Amino acid sequence: MELTAEQKGMVAGEQGEGVRRAMEILMAYGQCYDAKRLIPVTSVHMAGNFPVLLDEGIEWLEDLAQGGTRVRVFTTKNPEMYDPLQADEMNIPVRLRQRQGRIHEVLKKLGIVPTYTCHHYLVGNVPRFGDHIAWASSGSQVFANSVIGARSNRDGDHVALAAAIAGVIPEWGLHIKENRKADLIVDVGGLPLNDYGPEDFKALGWSLGKKIGACIPAFINLPSDLHIEKIKGLLYTLTVTGAMGMVHMVGITPEAQDLEAALGKDHGEIPVLSASPEDVDKAYGEISSGTSDKIDLVIFGCPQCSIQEVQEIAGLMEGKRVHAETRFWICTSAWVKLLCERMGILKTLTDSGVRVVSDVGAADGPHLYLKEQGVRVIAVNSARASYYAHNLFGMETWFGSTKDCVLSAISGKWEGRK
Amino acid sequence: MIRLKARPVTCGIAEGEALVTRMAISFTGGMDPDTGIIREPGHELFGQSVAGKILVFPTGKGSTTGSWQYYAAFKRGVAPKGIINEKAEGVVAVSAIITGTPMVHQLEENPMDCIETGDFVRIDADKGVVEIIKK
Repeated sequence: MELTAEQKGMVAGEQGEGVRRAMEILMAYGQCYDAKRLIPVTSVHMAGNFPVLLDEGIEWLEDLAQGGTRVRVFTTKNPEMYDPLQADEMNIPVRLRQRQGRIHEVLKKLGIVPTYTCHHYLVGNVPRFGDHIAWASSGSQVFANSVIGARSNRDGDHVALAAAIAGVIPEWGLHIKENRKADLIVDVGGLPLNDYGPEDFKALGWSLGKKIGACIPAFINLPSDLHIEKIKGLLYTLTVTGAMGMVHMVGITPEAQDLEAALGKDHGEIPVLSASPEDVDKAYGEISSGTSDKIDLVIFGCPQCSIQEVQEIAGLMEGKRVHAETRFWICTSAWVKLLCERMGILKTLTDSGVRVVSDVGAADGPHLYLKEQGVRVIAVNSARASYYAHNLFGMETWFGSTKDCVLSAISGKWEGRK
Repeated sequence: MIRLKARPVTCGIAEGEALVTRMAISFTGGMDPDTGIIREPGHELFGQSVAGKILVFPTGKGSTTGSWQYYAAFKRGVAPKGIINEKAEGVVAVSAIITGTPMVHQLEENPMDCIETGDFVRIDADKGVVEIIKK
């Protein structure tokens, strides 16, 4: 790799031990992909929470922060395990509070903004078209490439943190314009898309992710006015069963105003994949892992709910009450929770038995203690949450629409498709 | 003794018994950080521990959180001593860097053809050399 004089100094430790370690990570990483140089990044997002970091990961971060190492790029953080404002009433175990407390302290020391949200692009971490960024969270990374047109590879936390500390990242993969072209066409023209709700786009993403794998697909025949919640539903699920870093939605993605732009010039034969309504139906059966009808918990927020989603849920709950043996959580960011309070929705929801939980997501963190608290069967409107809650924490999951989940919370049993 | 040139990913020297697979490895989900045992159903190394071995495999795969799991395994004393890849990818390379594990890739011959489980292997990642003594 060709380094500038300043970067050579950083490798040699002239800017401190933290920067030296960051450069060591970036050099080894860049070498794997034959990167020619290091380029500046404008935005970083860190993903790992305690179930991923484990005690040793916290120690690694604390060690890194020794000697005053700080990020030099705006860096935000994904959700954690619990809402600190409700820790007592929710019986959060002391050992988990200690871990989350240590993570919080070390993030502050490193200069990372403790947003604890996975919709960081809704609350201030907004890259521009063409920006080079390092977002270590597979769903939002694909969102950045495909909706915003910023450029991020599938980097893990160590690489993203190193980039935040050194301010640079190896130039390879999706940072390079030529590598962002589609190598697969996905035709969704045979689907009744106008009748599809966000949940159907999630089921579609589940089905297609497995077939697309690590390719860069170009979706054709999507309506160009596709609602943002449906776009998120598709992208955040494609990356559960697939490993693509970018998705061209022709007519939507900034770099894919038409199919030609998505494929680029000089492309060879491009394979075409098409999806059928049967594929989508089949995915519903695969996403749900539930066997028992009785629902212990209805949990929304993977990715965390936007204020629009909370409004929708509040509308569906109006005048209703959550079943006595079922819990109902809406996971979101502290910002959205504040908006709920301001708009009077928080009180309406609380009065009907719904808990609005900030700083956590529905996929992983809370399941560590929910399981210990006897939660076994959950209902979700997120295929992503279903996958992780089942595979990492052994939850039985039911997947359906927002309305299916709300109705299930009211009756206490699963009301959606099986 | 077989002596092969290799491209270093990290630096340092490691030697020990080889554990070889032709299948890619994911550290998140694929390896138990408490024991170093490969737990991915259907994997060639299923049920075997990577602890203290020179681990020889084609490349990494799976979640980018793998480097946290590898780091935990290292601190718990159950990580491999050294790593040889056909072609390194980011998660494994970063795992090796943050734990100071000697690691090389792109050997002049395919390592899965020259090295068998049980062979004695020495990685010199400073010089970019791998030495193999057949069992």
